[in-house]
Amino acid sequence: MVKGRSIDIKALCFRIGSFIMQDVTFQVHGGEYFVLTGPNGAGKSLLMKLICGLHHPLSGSICIDDHPLDGTPPWRRQIGYVPQDGVLFPNRSVSHNIGFGLEVRGMPRRERDTIIHRMTDLLHITHLLDRLPHGLSGGERQKVSLARALVFEPDVLLLDEPVSAIDEQARDEVCQELYRIQRTLGVTTLHISHNPLETNLLADRVGVLDQGRLLQVTSGNKGTV
Amino acid sequence: MTAPSGTGHPYRSFDLILSVPLVLYLLVILGLTAGVFISITPAALRTALSDKALVDSVALSIGTSLTSTLLAVSVAVPAGYVLSRRRFPGYVVVDTILDIPIVLPPLVMGLSVLIFFSTPLGRWIDRGIWKEGLFVYQPLGIVLVQFIVGAAFAIRVIKSGFESLDPRYEQVAMTLGASPWQAFSRVVLPNVVPALVAGAVISWARIFGLFGPVLLVCGTMRSRTEIMPTTVFLETSIGRIEVALVVGAMMILISMTTLIVFKRLGGKGYLW
Repeated sequence: MVKGRSIDIKALCFRIGSFIMQDVTFQVHGGEYFVLTGPNGAGKSLLMKLICGLHHPLSGSICIDDHPLDGTPPWRRQIGYVPQDGVLFPNRSVSHNIGFGLEVRGMPRRERDTIIHRMTDLLHITHLLDRLPHGLSGGERQKVSLARALVFEPDVLLLDEPVSAIDEQARDEVCQELYRIQRTLGVTTLHISHNPLETNLLADRVGVLDQGRLLQVTSGNKGTV
Repeated sequence: MTAPSGTGHPYRSFDLILSVPLVLYLLVILGLTAGVFISITPAALRTALSDKALVDSVALSIGTSLTSTLLAVSVAVPAGYVLSRRRFPGYVVVDTILDIPIVLPPLVMGLSVLIFFSTPLGRWIDRGIWKEGLFVYQPLGIVLVQFIVGAAFAIRVIKSGFESLDPRYEQVAMTLGASPWQAFSRVVLPNVVPALVAGAVISWARIFGLFGPVLLVCGTMRSRTEIMPTTVFLETSIGRIEVALVVGAMMILISMTTLIVFKRLGGKGYLW
């Protein structure tokens, strides 16, 4: 089962083009569901890429359970990342998409299949295993992307607007699934969202980022919707 | 011409007008090609097929063109990837230099190769290892010249294939635990197969008919450095037009077969 590790971000600074991220400091506790919100261009997705190691900060630190990630490449960070619109590999079936993280870790096929089935059962997407990504609905794509990010038991889960590209009905369903999965696995989750309803439904705590600065962190109103 | 959907296509006359240049051009190509085949006599065919030098030239043409295409694609894949994903000081200069073999007349390219092999470094490369020479007037010289011209075309096409692939695929693959090599081989390459095939086809098509630089660098030694385009030149220059036509027809058949095989392999969106 996935462990609930904390994410510690301290005095993080980054610059890309004219955009500057300054002195971002906050902590996501082990097992917590933290929603990061803010206007477009606030630097939310950029922050996620910094945590993933896809960009390198100018200064500051990112730690998982007090273990600094400086110098750790993305493929050794053990972070489950669900990008906007899923970004499923188009040449691979759903099964091969989900099993990618296990495949690159050298896990034998049979063992891999067992874990994939366990994960798809949890997310109710076993019937999609042989399909190719281009035939999936928005909601299905996001669930597959979520399964792919969770299957290798990441230390933390990062969700970059996971439901923004899907219709309202599917959005509610995926949000319910996210909540259930996060509670079942206890994985520490950082979720970017624009939607107040989504935030209220899911967040233990909410952080507001604007123009590269963290303005506030408050308790969520989970269950108020 | 098939309408996008249904049977009653509202733009039929519009399509017909746009199709006129296509039909005219097709007629020109078909007319010229048919002219070659119609002009072949059974006697010329017998003469050509019994000529050992011609058989050698076909074998050398196919062998060198496939080898240089393979080399061109092997260089184009890493080069195209770096050019599509990275920006570095002097990028525009590097990108423009790569276009030189495309815009330069092939004959000038051949001259440049000859001039290079007349310099001390060139002489050392050519004759330093093997006294008789590796490239000048040698079959390996054909591969070298074909590779120089073909690689530029392959890089252009394959680079555009990498550019059309969202870089987030590699990024996500790496967050899932793939090293850059694993992301490249398991996610990037399988998703640019059409561009790889197209790069190979376009490169091969350019290489197979290459004549001027091969003639300059390697000459036309029968059964040694003679390839099909030089055979056409040699046979025409000694007045054996009918044999030259047979070789021309064979080149058309080989090209058509190779292109069809390549297109069956992939290349959709780049080749058709």
